[in-house]
Amino acid sequence: MTPISLHIPCLMNMFMPKTGKSVVRLLERLDVPFVYHEDQTCCGLPASNAGFLPEARKVAKHFMEVFGDDPVVVSPSGSCVEMITQRYPALFEDEPEWKARAQDMASKTYEFTQYLVDILGIEDAGGKFSGKVAYHESCSLLRGLGVSEQPKKLIASVKGAELVPMQNADVCCGFGGEFSHKYSEISETMVQEKVTNFINSGADVLVMGEPGCFLNISGYVSRNHPGRKVMHIADLLAGPIDS
Amino acid sequence: MKIRTHEYMDIAREQLKEPNARAVLDFFPVILSAMRDAVYQSFEDPQAAIQACRDIRANAVARLPKLLEQFEEQAVKAGAKVVWAADSAQANAYIVDLAQKLGARHAAKGKSMVTEETGLNQALEDVGIAAYETDLGEFIAQLLKRPPFHIVGPALNVPTAEIRDVFLEKGVMDAPTEDPVELGRAARKYLRDRFHFLDIGVTGVNMAVAETGTIINVENEGNIRMCKSSPKVQVSIMTLEKVLPNMEEAMMVLRNLPRSATGQLISAYVSMDTGPKKAEEADGPEELHIIILDNGRSKVYADPTYRQALQCIRCGACLNFCPIYRKVGGYSYGWAYSGPMGQVLSPMLLGLDKTKDLYHSCTLCKHCQSVCPGGVEHPKILLTHRARNREKEPQFHGAGAPASLEARYRAFALAASRPKVWNVMIRGARTALNQKKQGGMVKELFGKPEGWFASRDLPPMGRPTFNQWIKEYKKHKK
Repeated sequence: MTPISLHIPCLMNMFMPKTGKSVVRLLERLDVPFVYHEDQTCCGLPASNAGFLPEARKVAKHFMEVFGDDPVVVSPSGSCVEMITQRYPALFEDEPEWKARAQDMASKTYEFTQYLVDILGIEDAGGKFSGKVAYHESCSLLRGLGVSEQPKKLIASVKGAELVPMQNADVCCGFGGEFSHKYSEISETMVQEKVTNFINSGADVLVMGEPGCFLNISGYVSRNHPGRKVMHIADLLAGPIDS
Repeated sequence: MKIRTHEYMDIAREQLKEPNARAVLDFFPVILSAMRDAVYQSFEDPQAAIQACRDIRANAVARLPKLLEQFEEQAVKAGAKVVWAADSAQANAYIVDLAQKLGARHAAKGKSMVTEETGLNQALEDVGIAAYETDLGEFIAQLLKRPPFHIVGPALNVPTAEIRDVFLEKGVMDAPTEDPVELGRAARKYLRDRFHFLDIGVTGVNMAVAETGTIINVENEGNIRMCKSSPKVQVSIMTLEKVLPNMEEAMMVLRNLPRSATGQLISAYVSMDTGPKKAEEADGPEELHIIILDNGRSKVYADPTYRQALQCIRCGACLNFCPIYRKVGGYSYGWAYSGPMGQVLSPMLLGLDKTKDLYHSCTLCKHCQSVCPGGVEHPKILLTHRARNREKEPQFHGAGAPASLEARYRAFALAASRPKVWNVMIRGARTALNQKKQGGMVKELFGKPEGWFASRDLPPMGRPTFNQWIKEYKKHKK
């Protein structure tokens, strides 16, 4: 099997290292060979979102230098993959050589659950969880990449887990990077609604495939509903990790 | 109308606390979006129907100058007078002049966003001509001196008790009632009286057909129709992107418009006018004036990235699906156009310097884009607004980013392109952040819980980070 090159999003590297470990553990359990480049940093999404395009280009070039020779890049983040597959080529309209590299990068980069299900044909990643699971459709996965069935299939395959519907599962949780800080009052009402829908769904845990949504929703839950559980999908699939 | 785009967050903050706005926003946009989804199922292939509409709009906008020429030719042939207005002032001056020449004491207006954009009511009132909004929602908003709350339902946030009070105060009715049907009837009767002896009626245009010179209006109350059939002189004002090549394509757009706007298969009234009243016809205006308004749009047309914004058909579906509009409502956007379409369009027409919050207050969730029958990629345009503002783009008045932000993103790019610097920076940030840990989570950074921390915790940063961990892990595995 072709080894994949693992991209761990900067937010996950800094704030969710355990989830990164879950990804590693899962890949090992599924016998998916992988490489990890320690000189990876960030995909450049924050600069692109803020309108700082020369800065985004600089970071994107570093990303492509790190990952450029690899056959496949896989990332447990919808928004990073959306950045790489949809914004990288457009960033380099005036630099043909880099544009070609960006197009190549875009064609070989996958979101984690997308890669497992669509490319490797895995519909049962194992894992155990006893309880009801609600799934939050992160905008970057659902509308950015068209990834929705893949994570749900994987959740349904977890032993003991029951996937339950949640109202407005496809409505944004209010993260949006800087938006959540700069427009915090609006963002707060959005995440509040998301969490209310989660609680009303009767689920024991809310699962998603995007580190941004995870920090937003779990941060709100930690402050306002301690005891409720929010997870990145990699953690659900891998099962509990000790450290 | 008064432009308040720079007050976005102040108005949003008020609206977030306004219980009636909350209740309405929790209800109406959600219902409307659900109705839209349901009624699209009447197409064998809903996505194909939306795509057809998108293609028609994209092709029409691509051929805009030619189509407008053809439309003018055909409309004139049918007996209409076609006038081009470069900006609001020119459009308003033409209408005011026309009304004065007629000796009109009042003008009736059918629902139109474009006259909201040009501030026509004020221009008429300045010369002593009363302008009556005849759409029920617009009428209520006008009496209350408020801007539209929604482009399709301009007063859907006003409670019936408030409507009762203002109707009594302004003499629209004599006896108090909160029954919506009675309120509607009172307004209808009051406005019907205004339609009698009407000299001049002003309407917008939903679609203009190049091949036939026809203007099409879509409505549910019949008032636009009255504005077109009652007066001696009818003025229809359209922005220049409204034109479509032929009737067949207009009908395909029409099949999408009410579905997307109000979740209806078709609206209660669709009127199509080709020229003024003919000799053998029973009713209709003696004169038909069609104003084609630019007001900054030819500049938008000339810009390859911005051009697609002109594909919008004003259905308002993007508002109903926008999770932010659903929280802050229409007033926050500070001008005629609210929600995602306002966020896209207003900065182009008013300048990037005056509309910063419009293009920054968005999470780029793409919900608007996914439902837009015009094929507008709102998030892409908002990102372009942000980048152009930062670059101080002169055409659309980019103002540049604050120095603090410049410094932050320069530092970010510098660090993120040098792994060693990046990792040192992360370790530094971790020490600073984790010192603030209280009971396992970070709850504030600078002494008080603001912004993110007003409602959310942040986990402390990992020690080790994933990157540090895997380095050890790999060594161990070898």
